[in-house]
Amino acid sequence: MAKVEQRGTLSPEELRDFFREMLLIRRFEEKVEERFRAGELPGFLHVAIGQEAVAVGVIRALEDGDVIASTHRAHGHTLAKGTGPNELMAELYGKLEGCSHGYGGSMHLYDVERGNLGANAVVGGGLPQITGAALAFKMRGEPRVAVAFFGDGATNIGTFHEALNLAQLWRVPALFVLEDNKWAESTPERQHSPISDLSKRADAFGMTAIKVDGQDVEAVYKATKKALEHARSGKGPVFLHVDTYRLVGHYIGDPQVYRTKEEQKEVREHHDPLTQLRGKLELSEDDFDELDAEIVEIVEAAVEFAKNGTDPKPEDALKNVYA
Amino acid sequence: MPELTYREAVRDALSRAMREDDDVFVMGEDIAEMGGSMGVTQGMLDEFGPERVRNTPISEMALAGAAIGAAIQGMRPVAEIMYEDFLTLATEQIVNQAAKHRYMSGGQVTVPVTFRTQGGAGWSPGAQHAQQLEAWFVHIPGLKVVFASTPSDVRGLLWSAIYDDNPVVFFEHRTLYGLKEEVPDELEPIPLGKARVHREGEDVTVIATGRLVHEALEAAQQAEEQGVSVEVVDPRTLQPLDEDALIASVKKTNRCVVAHEAVTRMGFGAEVASVVQYGAFDWLDAPIERVGAKFTPLPFAPVMEEWCVPHAGDVLEAIQRTVGRNADGN
Amino acid sequence: MATEIKLPRLGQGMEAGTIVKWLKSEGDAVEKGEPLYELDTDKVTQEVEADASGVLLRIAIQEGEVEVGKTIAVIGEQGEDVPAESGEADSANGSESGVSDEPSEEGSRAPARDDERERGRNASAQADVPELSQLDTAAGRVKASPLARRIARERGLDLSQVAGTGPEGRVVAEDVERAAASGGPAPAAEQALSLPTEGVEVEQLSSMRKTIARRLTEAWQAPVFQLGVTVDMGRAQALRARLVELHGDGTKPTINDLLTKVCAAALMRHRAVNALYKGDAIELHPTANVGIAVAIPNGLVVPVIASCERRSVAEIAAARAAVVERARSGKLEQADLEGGTFTISNLGMFGIERFVAVLNPPQAAILAVGSIEDKVVAVDGQPAVRPRMELTLTCDHRAIDGATGAAFLADVKAFLEEPGLAL
Repeated sequence: MAKVEQRGTLSPEELRDFFREMLLIRRFEEKVEERFRAGELPGFLHVAIGQEAVAVGVIRALEDGDVIASTHRAHGHTLAKGTGPNELMAELYGKLEGCSHGYGGSMHLYDVERGNLGANAVVGGGLPQITGAALAFKMRGEPRVAVAFFGDGATNIGTFHEALNLAQLWRVPALFVLEDNKWAESTPERQHSPISDLSKRADAFGMTAIKVDGQDVEAVYKATKKALEHARSGKGPVFLHVDTYRLVGHYIGDPQVYRTKEEQKEVREHHDPLTQLRGKLELSEDDFDELDAEIVEIVEAAVEFAKNGTDPKPEDALKNVYA
Repeated sequence: MPELTYREAVRDALSRAMREDDDVFVMGEDIAEMGGSMGVTQGMLDEFGPERVRNTPISEMALAGAAIGAAIQGMRPVAEIMYEDFLTLATEQIVNQAAKHRYMSGGQVTVPVTFRTQGGAGWSPGAQHAQQLEAWFVHIPGLKVVFASTPSDVRGLLWSAIYDDNPVVFFEHRTLYGLKEEVPDELEPIPLGKARVHREGEDVTVIATGRLVHEALEAAQQAEEQGVSVEVVDPRTLQPLDEDALIASVKKTNRCVVAHEAVTRMGFGAEVASVVQYGAFDWLDAPIERVGAKFTPLPFAPVMEEWCVPHAGDVLEAIQRTVGRNADGN
Repeated sequence: MATEIKLPRLGQGMEAGTIVKWLKSEGDAVEKGEPLYELDTDKVTQEVEADASGVLLRIAIQEGEVEVGKTIAVIGEQGEDVPAESGEADSANGSESGVSDEPSEEGSRAPARDDERERGRNASAQADVPELSQLDTAAGRVKASPLARRIARERGLDLSQVAGTGPEGRVVAEDVERAAASGGPAPAAEQALSLPTEGVEVEQLSSMRKTIARRLTEAWQAPVFQLGVTVDMGRAQALRARLVELHGDGTKPTINDLLTKVCAAALMRHRAVNALYKGDAIELHPTANVGIAVAIPNGLVVPVIASCERRSVAEIAAARAAVVERARSGKLEQADLEGGTFTISNLGMFGIERFVAVLNPPQAAILAVGSIEDKVVAVDGQPAVRPRMELTLTCDHRAIDGATGAAFLADVKAFLEEPGLAL
């Protein structure tokens, strides 16, 4: 994990490392789409193409011991938090080697050892538990922060309001990361929120809010560092409003009847965080191809690993119900 | 041996655990200065302070979820849901989150949280403050469910619930808080999943929970006077259920009545009846009788409320039906 | 490397689609994501995008219906060799090269994993078998299903004497039925014997056969004893011959009709035999209502001729002829079958010399009649050939004692040998 002494300063090497991580997420997600269409992956899958800078920018700013709770769109967060592509892919294939040992799947990715408390398939479902995790850190005097990811759609659900209210009331070290990709599944923000600036949601609780361009990984990283400092210092939780874009449908196979082809093309052309960072890094064609080839190989290897993984026995279904 | 009320017994278990263990704390609505709507946590704020006797906003989803989150971090929170009717507001967190984290993570996560709650009719609060909803939660794999009926049981079971590594929904009955019983100086934990035989008998087994344990004991006394010997068994833990104890008792008596205050239809008693018919099929001499509330929301008017929920008389009638049926040979 | 473009699966349940037209021609440059062809499925017509960039080297199928997974085109580099004929569709990877965004619903079942689903389903079925070993045995208590208990109570069977073949040795309804039918406990190991079943015709029991089975099974429960006599039929035959001569337009009397009349006379003198055993009471009847066992196709009925003691042999013959006719033509009425106090079963016409009849409950006795055979017997100390007939009386000992039965049977014999005595 990249350690940065001073917030706001990232070396070119570190930034290139961020790019590598984002590219891994992108290629991983593309492979997931491909294998899903080939009929190999069961279930309900949501890819985070377009939101790579949020996952990498936020999570690279965390310290060891900080924890996250993710959403149904969790592959990026999970990779960024350190779970290997092999273990993640194996989970998507339902294998024992998977990060949730075949019990969770795409929407329930866990890696507790690495501080990933789990993706959550109920919108807003993880938020109160992040408040609770942060409460535990506070009660024990541990300098840790609990981070919840959620989308703009989640700002309308009760758990969001109750969890943020409680977190601010108790001044717990939590970070609420709003991944504002403008879509609650197929419903555009203008149809689901009465206010256009969702960072104002935090005002209702008197919570500090920070707004940042989510397609700029460096900006996300810096903003997160600032937010973490606030939370860790005992000043209470922070609402980090990250402006991002979902370049693809809500789920794999989503025909996106709710937005035009032109719009889809426009966001792909103008809001791709990888294109932006690649320009900033001034990566040569050769450099990129070399890096890309390396990443593609990692992803292909992950598919191989997953396909060769161990199928659970049917009756393994009875394990892990109780401690 | 000190005499404790059911209320004091709950408090005793909470306080002892909190004295011994910094990871245990209580949270809930109006539990600090006010001492809880049922007075269970009275005095605890003074001893443990506001951090560990933590008042929450009226916010069941968040308080349940926060308890779950803290539990996953290794704390052993006891969250009080003021009335079990309000469990409905926290059900997403309890059912989708607490019950399933361990499973969905393939065994990585442990959720040692306890949700204490209470309910029960007999005081005319109407339809939203006295329901008995334990059947909803026994249906959820991943949850344990306790329903204690006496001071000694509630103390020993709550202790075990707090120290169980699984989420436990812990039901108390409102009308039992004043019930007194002598309890040992030392708190003896009662393992979850063990039934208690309150009274031995030869002719009929009554399997009862909560308030109905006491109604069943009264009915048993009356039946005794009519020459019918009744065994009263309280499962105490509804999930996991002590099936062996229930089956053993019915094998002895050959007749079974299941009694709870909750609505009979689709109730916990239906599952008990199924367990008993399967496990003691060849020992049954009469159809299994069920006693519970009528299939209606709880009415306000006292005359209607009392008519809806079961009492000792209903249990006695059920006992007589099981015996009568057999005597006729029908 | 060339990429084979295969017809994609665009939704659950899609097996094929129809290519309407190609939006690119062979030799055209193609960008990944660019619309490549129009496809018609049962849901929509849509443009399907290329998921590889390069040159459209070959269009394998210009238009028409195509199975999912079949190669429809090849994209590669200019001048690259095109595989001559693409292989058969690989269902697991069938849709991997086609990119489309038109599934009918969220998520997917992952068709490539169907064998795992099947495996889980099969394992699940096995897991559903109850673990009987967990049940302990009902020590000191007969394990029987409620249905078996009810049947046993109705038939008066002692369940502890019935071997159970149900789970854990439980007595089930079938066991009780079997025990009742065989008059004893069912052998538990009976089912283990496997006999050849080829050529066996199975006839489901008709309701009549069920009635016969039930009634005779009941009969078998009764403690019975048999008494036998041999009758010299010389005079009876002579009398019958005379009656036939005299019968006019009426029915010709048979030996059996004569026997019916004789039995009726004897029954009137031995009312204890003209009796019904009713469990807690014995009914002694004032009239001799004699049942005649009649074989009919696939069964047996016992129509009753009422008050035979008051009828002449000719009247008995007429009544007998009428009921037998009704029995054989299936027109018996309930009244024909009711009220019997005694039954005669005659198999003499088949050459049967003697047999034992099964009681016809609740009647206390039944007479089995054999054929009349010429036998050499001692008459007044000298061998003589005489027409002889054997009678076997089955008595329900709960109603009739040996001496009672014997006195009755002796009178029947006497009346046949000296018909005047019956007057």
